[in-house]
Amino acid sequence: MSGSELPKLARVAHAGHCNRCLSALPSSHIQIDASRLAIGFYCFGTLDLLGSIYEKTKEIEREGWREWLWHQQTNRPYGTDPEEYSEYDTPHLIMTYTAILSLAILRDDFEQLDRNGIVRFLQACQREDGSFTSFPNGGESDLRQVYCAFAISSMLDDWSGVDVDRAVSFIQQCSSHEGGYGQQPTGEALGGTTYCALASLYLAPSVSDLHAPNPHVTTDERRRTIRWLLQNQASSGGFSGRTNKDADACYCFWCGASLHILGVGDLVDRTAFLSYLASCQFKFGGIGKAPEDRPDPYHTYLSLAALALFPLEDADPSWKLPRLNALWNTTEDTADWIRQHVPLYTVKAQSPVRK
Amino acid sequence: MHGVKRVQYSQAALEAKKQRDHDKLKAYLALSDDVIARKKSHDMSNEAFELTTRLLRMNPEFYTVWNYRRDMFIESLFPQRSPSEVNELLSDDLSLTFELLKQHPKVYGIWNHRRWCLEHIPDGPSPDDVNGYRNSTWNKELFVVEKMLDADARNFHAWNYRRYILATMPFPPPPKSELAYTTRKIEANFSNFSAWHQRSKVLTTLWETGELDRVKSIEEEFELVRNAMYTDPDDQSVWIYHAWLIGNGNYAARLQFEITSIQELLDEQPDSKWDKKALVDSCLELLAKLRDIDPPRRRRYDEIAEGIRSGNEMQ
Repeated sequence: MSGSELPKLARVAHAGHCNRCLSALPSSHIQIDASRLAIGFYCFGTLDLLGSIYEKTKEIEREGWREWLWHQQTNRPYGTDPEEYSEYDTPHLIMTYTAILSLAILRDDFEQLDRNGIVRFLQACQREDGSFTSFPNGGESDLRQVYCAFAISSMLDDWSGVDVDRAVSFIQQCSSHEGGYGQQPTGEALGGTTYCALASLYLAPSVSDLHAPNPHVTTDERRRTIRWLLQNQASSGGFSGRTNKDADACYCFWCGASLHILGVGDLVDRTAFLSYLASCQFKFGGIGKAPEDRPDPYHTYLSLAALALFPLEDADPSWKLPRLNALWNTTEDTADWIRQHVPLYTVKAQSPVRK
Repeated sequence: MHGVKRVQYSQAALEAKKQRDHDKLKAYLALSDDVIARKKSHDMSNEAFELTTRLLRMNPEFYTVWNYRRDMFIESLFPQRSPSEVNELLSDDLSLTFELLKQHPKVYGIWNHRRWCLEHIPDGPSPDDVNGYRNSTWNKELFVVEKMLDADARNFHAWNYRRYILATMPFPPPPKSELAYTTRKIEANFSNFSAWHQRSKVLTTLWETGELDRVKSIEEEFELVRNAMYTDPDDQSVWIYHAWLIGNGNYAARLQFEITSIQELLDEQPDSKWDKKALVDSCLELLAKLRDIDPPRRRRYDEIAEGIRSGNEMQ
């Protein structure tokens, strides 16, 4: 099937799905209650990609969301010592990352951002082996947290919270013989963690260009990672997250973006890719993990983000999406906003570094 | 989200479901507000502890509440209690997390809490036997993770946890018994890549310690993989494992044997000459075939062919 034969992207319906999720979620979703910031980000991100933040939401709602987001910023460590985090404080690394992105999408001025607090928080989360835990001195640790720490530091343009060498060394230990990267050293390669590893290695300070060889990725690692990623594209066009698993729309982003970061996005079968994601659209709005599956904001956002990275020339205009910053996982316009408002010192005259 | 199923309802049933949902949500939100308020006011009572149990049963992904629970263990439940009582409290939480894992096998917070419990088992039962509690509890963990892998042999949380247990338990079983475990899992299902992956890790250890002779072992592995290949040549796991084996031994004779084997599988005449030109032509021919039978990766094969041609020209 050529690009021109594809069904349309149901933009209005998908925006509607995320808008509804922003108001309320059913009881079947109780388990994501603690991850509201992440769900918020997937919804805001969807609206951002569809260019409908201002169309579909009112200023009073956006103000409310910004306020809600700031309400989640912990101003001091919980516990008796105001300088040290205890094991049981609960600002969360992944939620911090999604909160910053959400605020940027909502065009907040970031006056309230506690930059020093965040840097201290990152320091408290990094372990001996270079990995990061979800909360200070506790919680699970794997490449997702490393990625969030790197993304946050890069957005702050302040790496004093991270021991980069140790973190890079941890990432490299997660490299799997199959290609790709596992959650931890000795783990099986997974699509999500492969994205986290590669995005981190390309965000690391002193690495400037997506298309130049990366000092932290050996030729061999690169070659077998490309091979493993490409093998994960099923004949349906969708990507699976691991060897011998089924295709899933979210891996179209995790694996697709990984290939994009490695500079070999052209090797993806783009028409099949689009056709798979088109078939994952749910008839009442939203995108699910596979055709006929129920949609959710996570799969909706990641499908659109994947589509933004792999535009198809002859596809219907409904499929046209803005450029995506693959390393931060947000639109380039939002990335520009971040560069201008998140770091403590911004040099407005300088042209932004294209990643 | 992953795993939420679609069900069809009649109008009346839909109304009833809506009401149940509404009540469930109301109860959840009330409980959640109560627990968080108590956490903020540093409530370390038994009552608060029971409430966290109730809340975690409804929402085991609520990491803040797992943290609060651990806080209560450390600050109020453990102090003033004997090692035997502490051990019992932790055993109860291990039972709780096992129960929750059966319903929620991929929730990071539950696996994480389990690790925390294991790592906080006290010395005991006596000064002569300070590791008794630990040994008995840790020894049960392999059983727990086996149950989880029986339910879902690809659950990477369970496999990672299995590796953690084997690396940390006081008296782990010998690596050869883990090798046997991977054999069982592979024989149950060749496409279980997680089992092949684990096998590669265990073998590496056995080769490094000298427990298994590397050369002989690799021969046996090639045999195993050839069986799998001929049983199901479409299985990705087998080829990735094969590539790993090849990478682990640079024996020209072995390479030649493998190439011959694979050519037989492709129903081709095994090639006897292996000069450079023959190899290059053979590769280009195979790549052309691959383009036809594996369209999603067309561009990749073109790229590889280009690389071979230009490399060849440079010589």
